[in-house]
Amino acid sequence: MTQSLSIFLSIHVFIGVTGIIASYATLIWLFKRNIPIRLLKISSLTAFIAYIATWLTGGYYYVLYYGGSVKPIIKSGPTPWAHSIIMEVKEHIFLFLPVLAFVILLVIWLKGNSLEKNKPLRNALALVVSITLLIAVLMALGGIVISGAVR
Amino acid sequence: MDIHSILLITHLIGVALGVGGATFAGILYLKAIKDGHIDPMEGEWLSVVFTVLRIGLVILVISGFGFFLEYRFTGQEERLIDPRLWAKMTIILALVFNAILIQMRKIPMWLGESLSITSWYGALALGIMQNADYSYFTFLIFYAIGVIIVIGILSVIKRLYLGKITS
Repeated sequence: MTQSLSIFLSIHVFIGVTGIIASYATLIWLFKRNIPIRLLKISSLTAFIAYIATWLTGGYYYVLYYGGSVKPIIKSGPTPWAHSIIMEVKEHIFLFLPVLAFVILLVIWLKGNSLEKNKPLRNALALVVSITLLIAVLMALGGIVISGAVR
Repeated sequence: MDIHSILLITHLIGVALGVGGATFAGILYLKAIKDGHIDPMEGEWLSVVFTVLRIGLVILVISGFGFFLEYRFTGQEERLIDPRLWAKMTIILALVFNAILIQMRKIPMWLGESLSITSWYGALALGIMQNADYSYFTFLIFYAIGVIIVIGILSVIKRLYLGKITS
């Protein structure tokens, strides 16, 4: 792997983790007694940008390196399902993340001030953030399994 | 200093903040509820400790992913499927979801507190026990037993300190 691809993979991983941390912060702050709207706006924007950036860097790495060099090693190794199941799931389910993060961003930026009074809205938003967080965590764990399958 | 040393030091700082934070959260919470209610100053201290805990968690997770990348780039990929590492990640996930449930007030404090303390000390123990050769599920059974023991110990401490049985 060239140095630039290593850097791309590292950026992909760390920005993805940043997205997870931002989604986690969003969920935690939604349940504070005094909801910090300004922080929620920052965390939701960070999560959205992070998922988009992770998507782009991951896609770049896949097209330039993974597909040609890593995938054949995994498929001929002891755990071919790491690609055929986990990477396939990751490729398709990941696409939910930028969309969900955008929905969260819109609700917080447009309706943020009514979250404290409107509990059903806050709870519905918390459910969407929880789903986003769960998917993002599963994507990260999937990435670790895929990397561990390169043997 | 090489990248491995930087990652190790960062990871240890995260663990130290987390283990110390969880311990002090338990102590301060116990002191705070002794008179039956948490006054604003006590609430402020608890809030500071919870913030330290979360900073520790973030440092731990980021440096942890740094280790994963190091394993990937240095041909140590087999370490990424080590049961000890997956047990540690499961414990960290339990910690994350426990923190969310505490914030949502959807988990009783005695259980949330025990899970938090056991998880932080469990992550520390798994980090130290480099040669522990058990299956993933064995590690989780140890963790579950640890949670039950900590629930018991905290219950005894509360009974002795508060002079009554509390939940």
